[in-house]
Amino acid sequence: MADHNPDSDSTPRTLLRRVLDTADPRTPRRPRSARAGSCALGTLMWLWNLRGTGLERLRARRALLETASPRKLSGQTRTIARGRSHGARSVGRSAHIQASGHLEEQTPRTLLKNILLTAPESSILMPESVVKPVPAPQAVQPSRQESSCGSLELQLPELEPPTTLAPGLLAPGRRKQRLRLSVFQQGVDQGLSLSQEPQGNADASSLTRSLNLTFATPLQPQSVQRPGLARRPPARRAVDVGAFLRDLRDTSLAPPNIVLEDTQPFSQPMVGSPNVYHSLPCTPHTGAEDAEQAAGRKTQSSGPGLQKNSPGKPAQFLAGEAEEVNAFALGFLSTSSGVSGEDEVEPLHDGVEEAEKKMEEEGVSVSEMEATGAQGPSRVEEAEGHTEVTEAEGSQGTAEADGPGASSGDEDASGRAASPESASSTPESLQARRHHQFLEPAPAPGAAVLSSEPAEPLLVRHPPRPRTTGPRPRQDPHKAGLSHYVKLFSFYAKMPMERKALEMVEKCLDKYFQHLCDDLEVFAAHAGRKTVKPEDLELLMRRQGLVTDQVSLHVLVERHLPLEYRQLLIPCAYSGNSVFPAQ
Amino acid sequence: MEEEAETEEQQRFSYQQRLKAAVHYTVGCLCEEVALDKEMQFSKQTIAAISELTFRQCENFAKDLEMFARHAKRTTINTEDVKLLARRSNSLLKYITDKSEEIAQINLERKAQKKKKSEDGSKNSRQPAEAGVVESEN
Repeated sequence: MADHNPDSDSTPRTLLRRVLDTADPRTPRRPRSARAGSCALGTLMWLWNLRGTGLERLRARRALLETASPRKLSGQTRTIARGRSHGARSVGRSAHIQASGHLEEQTPRTLLKNILLTAPESSILMPESVVKPVPAPQAVQPSRQESSCGSLELQLPELEPPTTLAPGLLAPGRRKQRLRLSVFQQGVDQGLSLSQEPQGNADASSLTRSLNLTFATPLQPQSVQRPGLARRPPARRAVDVGAFLRDLRDTSLAPPNIVLEDTQPFSQPMVGSPNVYHSLPCTPHTGAEDAEQAAGRKTQSSGPGLQKNSPGKPAQFLAGEAEEVNAFALGFLSTSSGVSGEDEVEPLHDGVEEAEKKMEEEGVSVSEMEATGAQGPSRVEEAEGHTEVTEAEGSQGTAEADGPGASSGDEDASGRAASPESASSTPESLQARRHHQFLEPAPAPGAAVLSSEPAEPLLVRHPPRPRTTGPRPRQDPHKAGLSHYVKLFSFYAKMPMERKALEMVEKCLDKYFQHLCDDLEVFAAHAGRKTVKPEDLELLMRRQGLVTDQVSLHVLVERHLPLEYRQLLIPCAYSGNSVFPAQ
Repeated sequence: MEEEAETEEQQRFSYQQRLKAAVHYTVGCLCEEVALDKEMQFSKQTIAAISELTFRQCENFAKDLEMFARHAKRTTINTEDVKLLARRSNSLLKYITDKSEEIAQINLERKAQKKKKSEDGSKNSRQPAEAGVVESEN
């Protein structure tokens, strides 16, 4: 185990074995923590004196935090295991020099690799007091040194993503992810609490949060890729859900079409909206738009639906919803007020988790996290609203209202479990239930709708659903590749862009590429061929002005394409002066 | 030698100028017709701009036609090349296609006549379309 060959040890299994071997001394490390701290301190000092970059800080921290539960983390990164083994080794040797010397053996490459693999684990979410990095590695007690290590470690992830993840984000994220990783995190927490008591709660929590972060890191690259839009997420964080709802109340012209034309309101907005939100090319908009649309529909629904009841209610409703949404987001499990049935709670749980996952996938910031909680119930509310609207229509005698009325029956606390069967519930009873809903807290019916959400895709009663979700998947394969170019476009624009503008860009790109392909086809036919050959492409580029008498196609290939393509396209380039005719 | 090059250049330049003048004159005539038709007058700058534009576009067309012919491994520009050139504009393409069919028909008839008579039939048919001139020689 003392052998030091981190790079040769490429299999996680061997690393895990090594980790498990080193894991035993986890508890004994507690008494050794001081020594570890001193060792780490020495290494820290050495590293900082040498370079003072985040690389070394991370290495030092890893040397420190070898006690992080190995089993849990080994699956994630072998570098952690590696680091732990290194840390174990460093602990094994009491001398600073040995520890530092051991670290010296690490090449910059391995350091960087370790950092890249473990950077997500380092926690951004440290206590505010520790956020300021300690510049000089003064001789400090181990506790503070650990905290400073944590803060230093903070530097790393802060440097990489310009903005986004802030402490606020991780707080709800932590809570939400606990929902999904309950068992896992419990184990982690236990392990961490066991091993890191001496190190203080900060590191333990940071580790757990770092584990949470690993799930959140996929969100970062999107913002990193578009520094021009980096300003966005903080602005969105500042907006609260209440403001969203109020804005949506004011502007809600688009959603009504979706609401009124839809005879199966539950299915479409519930199923379609996530798809809509996913397919949006511009992710910074998604959060705002989601909330907007959701709230818009909600307002629409609440508007006509509440006509009969009380005009003053919508404001209260929405305001109440805002608060309730937050409450809902935070502790939805507990808010099953008025909702009876464990089975309802469970599908609700799943539904909300799904909503959260979807939101997370779209690159969420703090407000978005709240918004997801808001959108979950808000989407529920839209379903509500749809049912309300349709019920309003049904009350006027529209036949379609029965369908949505039936689905709206799902909302009710009582009829949720029997949603498929309650399709034929009368509008009047639904209205009566709706009254109840207004009286009850919003999340309850929202929860009900969510519970009905998983049931609805299975329902065959909603024929329009496949019809409406049909065009969406059909369009996506065609424009799937263009979204990449649209993102590039928005990146180079260096300023925020409207979604419609991006859609226009996508259309133009589509037409442009269509033209190009038509040209290629025509050129091939012009030469009496049925296959498009490079000559056709050269002709096309010549027409475009890319290939001129001075600049040939080969020159362009050499300039812009990677080496592999050059070898492919220019047969002479790699042939070593032995070229044979094609035939 | 340099003088020859210069004189050649000058000749080419003067030739170009004469061509431009011819184009300008033709554009002017066309614009007059349109002006009479639509009862809207054309300013001189407009006509000059249009003629300059036409001339440059003709240069582009010529280069494209040459490229197309070379792409088809020919040395002569063909009606196919012209049709390829006009593919962007549907109405223009249709017009040119009709004209080319017309010409093909005329050619067939002439071939038939030629068999009877020994004509030195080389009829130049000029197409007034902007796409340029198509010459079919027998």
